[in-house]
Amino acid sequence: MLKITDLKYRYKSIDDVYTYALSVKPKEIVAILGESGSGKSTLLDLIAGFLTASDGSIKLDERELTALSAEKRPVSILFQQHNLFEHLSVQKNILLGVSRTLKSSQKDILKVHKILKEVGLERYEHTLASSLSGGQQQRVALARVLLRREPILLLDEPFTGLDAKTRMEMLDLVQKITKENNLHTIMVTHELQDCERIADKIYLMKEHQLVEQ
Amino acid sequence: MFSGLARVKGSVLPGVFIALGLLVFAFLLFFTLYTAQDSRTTPPIDSRIYGLLKFTLYQAFLSTVLSLGVGTLLAWSLAHQPGFKGRSVLVALFSSSLVLPTLIVAFGLIGIFGRNGWINQIGLTLFDYSFGSYLYGLFGILLAHTYLNASFASRSLLHAFESIPNEKYKLAKSLNLSTFQRFIYVELPALKPTLLSIGSTIFLLCFTSFAIVLILGGSPAYNTLEVAIYEAVRLDFDIALALKLALVQLAISTVLVIFSSNFRTGLGNLKTDDTVLPWREPKHLHYIQTTVILLFAFFFILPLVVIVVDGLDADFGHFFKDPLFIRSSITSGIVAVVSSLFTVIIALFLSDAKRNFTLEYRLGNSMFSRFFNLLISFSGNLYLAIPALVMGLGFFLMSQKFEMPMNIWSVLALLTANVLMSLPFALSVLGPVMQKTAQRYDKLAFSLGLTTLQRWVYCEFPYLRSSLGYVLALSFCFSLGDLGIIALFGSEDFSTLPWYLYQLMGSYRTDDAAGVALILLVIILSVFILLPKLFRSRLAENN
Amino acid sequence: MIKIIYVLLLLTLVICSNEKPILTIYTYDAFAASWGPAPKIAKAFGQENNCTLKFIGVSSSIGALRKIQLEGKKTKADILLGLDTSIAQAAKKTGLFAPYDLNTSSLELPVVYQDDTFVPFDYSFFAFVYDTDKLKNVPDSFEALASMPKDFKIVIQDPRSSTAGLGLLLWVKSVYGDKAGEYWKRLAPHILTITKGWSEAYGLFLKGEADMVLSYTTSPAYHIMEEHKTNIKAAAFKKGHYGQIEVAAALKSSTHLILAKKFLAFMQSPAFASIIPTTNWAYPVAKTSLPKAFGALHRPKKMILMDGEKVEAERKAIINEWLNAIQK
Repeated sequence: MLKITDLKYRYKSIDDVYTYALSVKPKEIVAILGESGSGKSTLLDLIAGFLTASDGSIKLDERELTALSAEKRPVSILFQQHNLFEHLSVQKNILLGVSRTLKSSQKDILKVHKILKEVGLERYEHTLASSLSGGQQQRVALARVLLRREPILLLDEPFTGLDAKTRMEMLDLVQKITKENNLHTIMVTHELQDCERIADKIYLMKEHQLVEQ
Repeated sequence: MFSGLARVKGSVLPGVFIALGLLVFAFLLFFTLYTAQDSRTTPPIDSRIYGLLKFTLYQAFLSTVLSLGVGTLLAWSLAHQPGFKGRSVLVALFSSSLVLPTLIVAFGLIGIFGRNGWINQIGLTLFDYSFGSYLYGLFGILLAHTYLNASFASRSLLHAFESIPNEKYKLAKSLNLSTFQRFIYVELPALKPTLLSIGSTIFLLCFTSFAIVLILGGSPAYNTLEVAIYEAVRLDFDIALALKLALVQLAISTVLVIFSSNFRTGLGNLKTDDTVLPWREPKHLHYIQTTVILLFAFFFILPLVVIVVDGLDADFGHFFKDPLFIRSSITSGIVAVVSSLFTVIIALFLSDAKRNFTLEYRLGNSMFSRFFNLLISFSGNLYLAIPALVMGLGFFLMSQKFEMPMNIWSVLALLTANVLMSLPFALSVLGPVMQKTAQRYDKLAFSLGLTTLQRWVYCEFPYLRSSLGYVLALSFCFSLGDLGIIALFGSEDFSTLPWYLYQLMGSYRTDDAAGVALILLVIILSVFILLPKLFRSRLAENN
Repeated sequence: MIKIIYVLLLLTLVICSNEKPILTIYTYDAFAASWGPAPKIAKAFGQENNCTLKFIGVSSSIGALRKIQLEGKKTKADILLGLDTSIAQAAKKTGLFAPYDLNTSSLELPVVYQDDTFVPFDYSFFAFVYDTDKLKNVPDSFEALASMPKDFKIVIQDPRSSTAGLGLLLWVKSVYGDKAGEYWKRLAPHILTITKGWSEAYGLFLKGEADMVLSYTTSPAYHIMEEHKTNIKAAAFKKGHYGQIEVAAALKSSTHLILAKKFLAFMQSPAFASIIPTTNWAYPVAKTSLPKAFGALHRPKKMILMDGEKVEAERKAIINEWLNAIQK
């Protein structure tokens, strides 16, 4: 279980303190709703390790994460945009971050092939990311989550800007991946619709605090 | 905070050390100059220095006013004639003035306006009349400065014209404003920031102008401080005078740089788009604008044509056999390649370090980030305030103090001067690109745990590619064509192509000079046009 | 491989040590040129002393001095040739030159000159040179020169780099005294350009860029003898002409000091004297029969020449006065 208790972050520029507390069980999708600028994304940055909390704890099954640097945290994250390097192929994009060298192992390449089949992109394995549609790009990013097999999945409004039909498909894919892989998923959004479709729990960001709905 | 530091340690330390190194070197230079002064032999500031200063400022002021005037007129004409045939070629050509060596420009202008130039030759053939020798002196200096800077200014100004929203023009039309009113109320406000920053840059360039004044000034009657430093060292061996001139020069250029702190405008890969105005200009304006474009295009292209025509006439076999030519070419080539690589590497390290202190999820939140940010920016741009000859004098004094072969000192001085001269340009191009890449991909790269090598190969380089090509080309051309510090160190043992060309011009080997000028021009233009093409990537268009 | 390099190195050492000593002479470009005195002198002196002379031409003689100053003790020069008596004192002050005592009483000089370091090798008189086909109204004094028509142009040399330029300054100073600055202000509009050295200025004049050039009374001899042209003449000034005695000295740092001094002595020999008139176009300091063309030249009766030490004491001030006067 992912448990966040009394996590605090102080913005130097605003001089406001944000406080977060929530818990996510395996296979659970937690949605966080809030207006833009309310501090939703800050939570994701704190969990992913881009920002450092001034106080509090982030625990995954009793393991404290706050002291770890971003690349050591068991986290995959999807942003609204710039999830892929446009100049690299779909395959290379997924393989990035798996090995520390420039060349990938044959085993990993086979895995990528299998995963792309799973998300229905096998035809695009060698296509440049820049020539994919927005929905397809996010699908590739999700495929990378499957390869990395990190237990925590963070979604930072990844489907804003996609058309309604694609968005629904993507949400369903997230749900499927979460359930099949025992992920702890936190999704930040400002669309109530998204929450209603897949979220098991909904929190609202209000006055720098999370309120469970 | 510490985890943040650990993440970017690798990119902070080299950059900060380089920045500190640059500052220490600048201090060392100043220290050398300052302590070399001997109070016993240093005469007080006399009327000669005052006269030099007066002329230097006077010609810089006139050059700036002329360049801005002509540049604005040209940009205005280009902006209102989007359908002009060959417009994009002309705009690209004008922008090459940034890398045209001043020496080559002077040579081309002599070919047109000199006593035996094309104008006098035409005058003699048609009317049996020669205008005589009118080029050398203030006229020549202003002509060359306008040639180089008006074209440079017109590019940035054109960009400013084109970013005026069409609605404003529609408004002007519906209010029935005259062309003059339209310029004053609609266009001038949009040009103002560019005029100021470009104007201060041009003033600084003309204030420290060396090769143009050296060649077209014609005599000590038209000396600038920079040329006076050169003459004090090379002709008089009067180091005390040179030092005093250098300190005066340094003080004033520092003040100028501080005033014109916004140096950035107009250096990057500006894109000009063909905004189509909803209506055509009235006929008489159309004629005026077309004439302006044609006149300036002629003025700009003719000296280059002269170099090509005269150059093709030259007996290449003659100077190809000259060992000094071969040695000069090798030296120039090596120095240009090495210094452009150094420029790029140093600019990359500095920009890489700098972005750590501006991004919140790096070290932007740290207490010292502001200080480091300033430190790095300052160290890179500091050398705008140090004219080449002043730096050269510093090196020269060090070479007298510390025992080392003169050639090593010469190479060192040349490399350092070339790198530091191109650095502000390189930083202003690479910095924003690296900042943008970091903003976009930092989180992804950090969460994927990319290694430094992976990060550079997959993330930074693809986005930097086209800018790297541009910066490499720019600093290569700057370095290859520069006649600055070499004027202090050049000899028959150590020479570069521009110095060799200058020697040929001085000894009136005009034919050989034309050939060498053509070679320089061809190399520089082709590097400036082709090198960025080699580095071009599709990503650049999205950036 | 290393062995081969070693053998090659040894070989070059052997070859070098077997080679004739090389005497390096820094001088002005016209002296070192293929049409100048250098090749003939190199041949004459080289054969006699079994050595090689290497002339390095710099754009002006003072430029050659500055080059030696820049190089300091590391200089390759054994001899500096081509300064004149006006700048020799300044050169002596650098302490780079080796003393050399020569009795000059036997020399053919229009004035007495004695120095413990610098040795004279030729002399001439400064004069403005013109083309009789182009210039009809020839000025015969500095006053006449300054009051020529507006489009009349002269080329002079920079006194900081050229001994000719410095000579002109001293000439004007000796004629005008305290009013020299004022005179220069009047002459300034007629100055087309100021070159670094003599050959650059003379080249400009021959190309027709200027009406007159500061050169020597002996310059027309070149055109008479080499080009059979009599239209190049030196303007005779009524109040006399400033003279130039060209000198040379050996460097303390020279590795061939004995040979260098031998060369300084050679400069007073008839062999050297016979080469000078038709290559450097000046009067030699030893007795020799002058070519016929020299008879047609204007030879001033009196040589104006300021004392070297007096020049050195005032040189900076005189140059500054000049710079201030012509500064726009």
